[in-house]
Amino acid sequence: MDGGNEGSPLLRSETTVNLSWKGEAVADLTGKVHQLPCCIKYDGPTSVSDYFKPKSSGMEVDGLTLEETYFRGRKLHGTAVPLPDGYSGFILGKKSSEKKTNTETSDCWEANAKFQNVTVWNHDSLPSNDDAFLRTFHWFAVAKALHQPVNVEDLESVPADEDLV
Amino acid sequence: MGSEAALPKWAWKPCIMGIDEAGRGPVLGPMVYGCLYCARSYQKTLSTLNFADSKTLKEEKREELFQNLKADESIGWAVDVIDPRELSSKMLKKNKINLNEISHDSAIGLIRKVLSIGVLLTEVYVDTVGDAEKYRVKLSERFPNVKFVVAKKADSLYPVVSGASIVAKVTRDRALRDWVLDETAENMHTSFGSGYPGDPHTKAWLEDHKHSIFGFPTLVRFSWGTCTSYSKDMVEVLWDTDDIDEDGSNGRAGKRQMKLTSVGFTPVKRKSEETESSGKGTHEQSGQLAMPMDIGDRLQIPKTV
Repeated sequence: MDGGNEGSPLLRSETTVNLSWKGEAVADLTGKVHQLPCCIKYDGPTSVSDYFKPKSSGMEVDGLTLEETYFRGRKLHGTAVPLPDGYSGFILGKKSSEKKTNTETSDCWEANAKFQNVTVWNHDSLPSNDDAFLRTFHWFAVAKALHQPVNVEDLESVPADEDLV
Repeated sequence: MGSEAALPKWAWKPCIMGIDEAGRGPVLGPMVYGCLYCARSYQKTLSTLNFADSKTLKEEKREELFQNLKADESIGWAVDVIDPRELSSKMLKKNKINLNEISHDSAIGLIRKVLSIGVLLTEVYVDTVGDAEKYRVKLSERFPNVKFVVAKKADSLYPVVSGASIVAKVTRDRALRDWVLDETAENMHTSFGSGYPGDPHTKAWLEDHKHSIFGFPTLVRFSWGTCTSYSKDMVEVLWDTDDIDEDGSNGRAGKRQMKLTSVGFTPVKRKSEETESSGKGTHEQSGQLAMPMDIGDRLQIPKTV
């Protein structure tokens, strides 16, 4: 997710993820990415905007602006969660293999669309900052702190009697 | 709509009211609760207005009677239109609210509303939903100063209930006739028929409007058994709130939970008790508390003078 364009290949196969989109060529799906509280046993396109019509519920909880909508008869409560600064969301698709050079299977992925927020929906309960999905974003701060290089001054500024765990 | 200033003089005298519903059985559209009230002294005149057996009347006749009672300055009325989305979502909540409860709450809301505008209700006649005696006790507990008569077929027994039934039925028919679908897919139409599952027009409409992902337009009551028969045409959707079977064999539910986790979806443990008792939980989590407020928004009380 974080800027870099090197995929992390799990196996030593040709898996690459190319996030270098060409300017505005990539669709912006900000406001159109939804996380539903259910599992839909389907993978593919469908006429979302004709059937899925969220509207503001005029409420605010925990500083979150709430929306409401219905899906399969259930009332859903949602909120649009912006991705943290410096992060972007990408919709990846397998690159259409124009160049079939050899029999080697190359897993080439590219960004088809990007987004800057995710609307998270709950069934039966209002969204809150305690929701698991929202709390996952805390990890970014932790990860950043963990991976920040520590220099000599930082170490010296720590009082000697403080426990470092 | 309606105003306290317009409260007619007769409303200060002891009044009777009838309550009846329309559109309880249909698989689509709103359910409407209607009430009609008048001074007890007007009761005799009321029985001459031919409201009786309203459900056997033709639509045009009902419309005509509705116009008459609207014009009658000795009669007051109100309706509560319960949106199909509200019916589906309440009945499909984790803590399901059944249709009887929704019906009772709607009737209670109407009584509360009419009392709140200053009408001196002394007797209320209600067509029963569920056990009549239990329903009567429930109503009497909430409104100790009102005498309740709860009966089967009250709409054909008491003219004041027949009148309420006309108010409800005409409102439901109009709502359906003027219904604007939320959905914007192409080739949608509004030839719903009556909405009853057995009606060929309704069947055809359901067939024409089923959708593999979204199920149906939100006009349809997803909580109705009729919808289940279409599930084979639809993509399976698993919810984290799917029930544990009531007979104790939670095999199906267990399997569902397993399927959810196997696709990387972790069912979230709700903390509803906590949020409710802390007062932080909003009205959506507690149906009974929520109803009177909801009803306030839907009520239409016409001028009675």
